[in-house]
Amino acid sequence: MIAQMKVRGLMFDPYNNAYIVILRDEEHSETMLPIWVGKSEASAISFALEGVAAPRPMTHDLMKSVLDIVDARVLSVVVTDLKDNTYYAKIHLMGEDSEYSIDSRPSDAIALALRANAPIFAQEEVLRKQASEELDQWLENLKPEDFGKLDS
Amino acid sequence: MDEQKDSHDLVRLKVHGVHPDSNTDTQIVILRDEANAEILPIWVGSAEGNAIKYALEGHVPPRPMSHDLIRSCADHLNIKMTSAVITDVKQNTYYAAIHLTSHGVERTIDSRPSDAIALALRTNSPIYVSQEVLRQRGGGNLDAWLERLEAKNLGKHEV
Repeated sequence: MIAQMKVRGLMFDPYNNAYIVILRDEEHSETMLPIWVGKSEASAISFALEGVAAPRPMTHDLMKSVLDIVDARVLSVVVTDLKDNTYYAKIHLMGEDSEYSIDSRPSDAIALALRANAPIFAQEEVLRKQASEELDQWLENLKPEDFGKLDS
Repeated sequence: MDEQKDSHDLVRLKVHGVHPDSNTDTQIVILRDEANAEILPIWVGSAEGNAIKYALEGHVPPRPMSHDLIRSCADHLNIKMTSAVITDVKQNTYYAAIHLTSHGVERTIDSRPSDAIALALRTNSPIYVSQEVLRQRGGGNLDAWLERLEAKNLGKHEV
């Protein structure tokens, strides 16, 4: 099963000095998928979100120009997997007469999807895994004194 | 930018190195011609600098970086990069063109030099600069400047 996601926004994570792209499930708006990305990837996504045209073509604008040479279309991008805190994605392209699916980091896939007006999906398996990894992290960060509070 | 590429007016360059600029959050890509007579330093962002450095050092990242992805899209779509050309410099901003062929037809895409170089290194494409850009690059003793830069960064930023 697959869920259509929308980019809800970008946040700065001061603890990891990184940015978080927040994807939200279109149908079940309480389901969020946070993806940590680097600074330049975040700015590539933010330019596209805000519809700002950079004075010079940015890397993902160039990517789009390359696809435009052969009228290749981005059909969709899919966040396909989550392993050891690393997200995996695929870009589905329609070339002249065949479809291709290309391995990508989610940040590149999202930056390209926004420029090509292509839908963004996530495997529901990833949404489930993410929820449990988040829980694991939360449990790991608990200190003994956090438990004590329950008794009082 | 689809001006005719005049091979007499172009100088082939090699990426000599990438150095952090200690004053800013940028990196300096050093391009040199084959005879080591010309030096062209281009300031790029830190992500772009890393994209060039990775390719230069043959470092394969665990996940495809943005320029690896462009290359992989082009490969799937049978688009072949033929060269990167640094075409112009205006108010300290360098302009570049990426030359590609698809079905035997030549195409040119406007690009920042950093993307053009990062992609050229990943596709073994030659990098050129126009004589005009070299003339405008400005004088000064770049050899001495480069020596100081390399000495300063020696051993500090080995990856």
